[in-house]
Amino acid sequence: MSKFFGILILSAFFLSCSSDLDFNQAKDVKSEPVVVLNLATFDVPANEFVVNGAEQNVAGDILNFDVFRDTYFNDSLRRTDFYFEIDNTINRAYRINLYLLDANNSPLYTIPFDVPAYSGVRNLVTKTEIFEKAKLDQLKKTKKIAFGIAMLPGPALSENSLGSLKLRSSATVYFVVE
Amino acid sequence: MRKIILLLIFSVSISCFSQNKQILYNLTSVPQSLLTNPGSDVKYDWFIGIPLLSGISANVGSSGFSAFDLFANDGVDFNAKVRNVVFSTSRNDKVSINEQLEIFSGGVKLGDWQEGAYLSFGMYQELDVFSYMPKDHAIMVLDGNIDYLGKVYDIGDLSAKGELLSVFHIGYNKNITEKLILGARGKIYSSIFNFSSTKNSGYFYTIPGTNSYYEQVVSSDALVNTSGFLNYTENYSDNAKSDIMKKAFFGGNLGLGFDLGLTYYPQENIQFTASILDVGFINHSKEVKSYSYKGYFKNEGLTPDFNSGNSNGNVFQDFLDAIPLDTLNTKYTTWRPVKFNSSIQYSFGDGRNSDCNCLGNEMKFKNSVGAQLYVMSTPRTPLMALTAYYKRKFFDAVEMKATYTIDSFSYKNIGLGLSTTIGKVNFYVLADNLLEYKDISKANSLSFQLGFNIIFPDKNTPE
Repeated sequence: MSKFFGILILSAFFLSCSSDLDFNQAKDVKSEPVVVLNLATFDVPANEFVVNGAEQNVAGDILNFDVFRDTYFNDSLRRTDFYFEIDNTINRAYRINLYLLDANNSPLYTIPFDVPAYSGVRNLVTKTEIFEKAKLDQLKKTKKIAFGIAMLPGPALSENSLGSLKLRSSATVYFVVE
Repeated sequence: MRKIILLLIFSVSISCFSQNKQILYNLTSVPQSLLTNPGSDVKYDWFIGIPLLSGISANVGSSGFSAFDLFANDGVDFNAKVRNVVFSTSRNDKVSINEQLEIFSGGVKLGDWQEGAYLSFGMYQELDVFSYMPKDHAIMVLDGNIDYLGKVYDIGDLSAKGELLSVFHIGYNKNITEKLILGARGKIYSSIFNFSSTKNSGYFYTIPGTNSYYEQVVSSDALVNTSGFLNYTENYSDNAKSDIMKKAFFGGNLGLGFDLGLTYYPQENIQFTASILDVGFINHSKEVKSYSYKGYFKNEGLTPDFNSGNSNGNVFQDFLDAIPLDTLNTKYTTWRPVKFNSSIQYSFGDGRNSDCNCLGNEMKFKNSVGAQLYVMSTPRTPLMALTAYYKRKFFDAVEMKATYTIDSFSYKNIGLGLSTTIGKVNFYVLADNLLEYKDISKANSLSFQLGFNIIFPDKNTPE
């Protein structure tokens, strides 16, 4: 009699059914995350363009930007958008250049901005740079980023001048992870 | 053929678990029930498990999704299915695997029948894996953060642990009075592999900013401990097989633990049992490697300083310095998942008329109904399961138990267990979630146990 029960239980295993499964699908796994992050931020008050009573018509800085040293990051990168937003509240026009530099400080790519003087009305200067394909390859060689600001002629600034030159910038990074 | 392979994959090799052995618990004609309650009311003279075949058990559980949800061969894009699974589960959904294989076991009655003391011992190998759904990590990998401005990603969503270990145990149980049996079991754990990352915390968020374009902060306190892997991942020289054998026999990271249990009869036909299992720890000191990821970083991007002109700022390096990935080799301790079982049972129907051979258990009553509670500790809230059961003895040598269990994996888990003792050979097979066998690929949990023992019935019980 116990055999009967044994068979009953075992048959539960062998008569059990399963839908058709395909574990090979796991090979197709792929994700395409899109990450947004701050790329750059600055806010230079008008009085910083005046040192000891004299206008400083050029300013700049070079910063390291070696995110592309990671090969896994590089391989998964498909596209990168840089978005810039410049809000000038100084009564002077500016020419701003952002330079992507390689390891030898040679420019790979330049992003220029013409920023008009403030006239009492907010005037946002925006720009989107999309790096894909060959342009993305240029970006991947970037090791440093330099900012250059040239103040264009206009009404004189003093240490008491109001306003600032403000930049907010974001990056939108598109990955394909397989 | 496919379903057999599936069954094997599901139940033996990967087996996800909840570790609840609701059918085996208190099924005293099976000697392995002593492992679920050291104070079980067993009545054999002695038993010996057939080596490697005496106790094979596996338990697979996944509360949020089934194999079908991910791997159905239905032409739907696999990545769409992954998305469905991720977005239909919560951070408290879990996948759990437990597998046990008894290497040897035995038990012997001590003294004369009035003393009623029983000694049991053995060794088993166990694999445990438990993971919560790392939901926010999965969202980040699938979608990134572009569509989730304002969302606070919880780094604590990652909570997982796994262990392969062997356990040596010796237990003693004694009839304190006619009505009360107490039991205890001491255990030595020898851990072969362990990983554990259960106390993570931290967050990551991106919201529209004022000065910078976004306000973007990462704060992380994450730690992954591992032990037992170094000989394979680094400086690999030895033969893996002999190395694992060495670790299984006291050569691994060692720990100690105990089980306690009791059986109490307030009346002849009413039985109460309770047990607490695996109160113990393992001290990981050999082949330890831990990865910590701790720190705080607010990303504003590049912040040029026009006064210096060459500030050499390096936002990426600042980030790596703020939240460094450190590798440590410090000892750590893990606690075994503690299991609590309890049951109350009412028995009826006179069993003595049926020419009983009383394999172990007293055969005063043919039928029993009862309820069981099971609780297991996890890194977050404990797992609980409630079982109602009916137990019946048939003929001379058969004990059957049918169970209905409700837990976080399923609310319609029907299980069936059968223990037969023919001559001196005891064979048992227990399986649950029988309703799911109509399509096991859709099951959220499955478990089965089977084994062979040689049992010499107690000479002092009526034959």
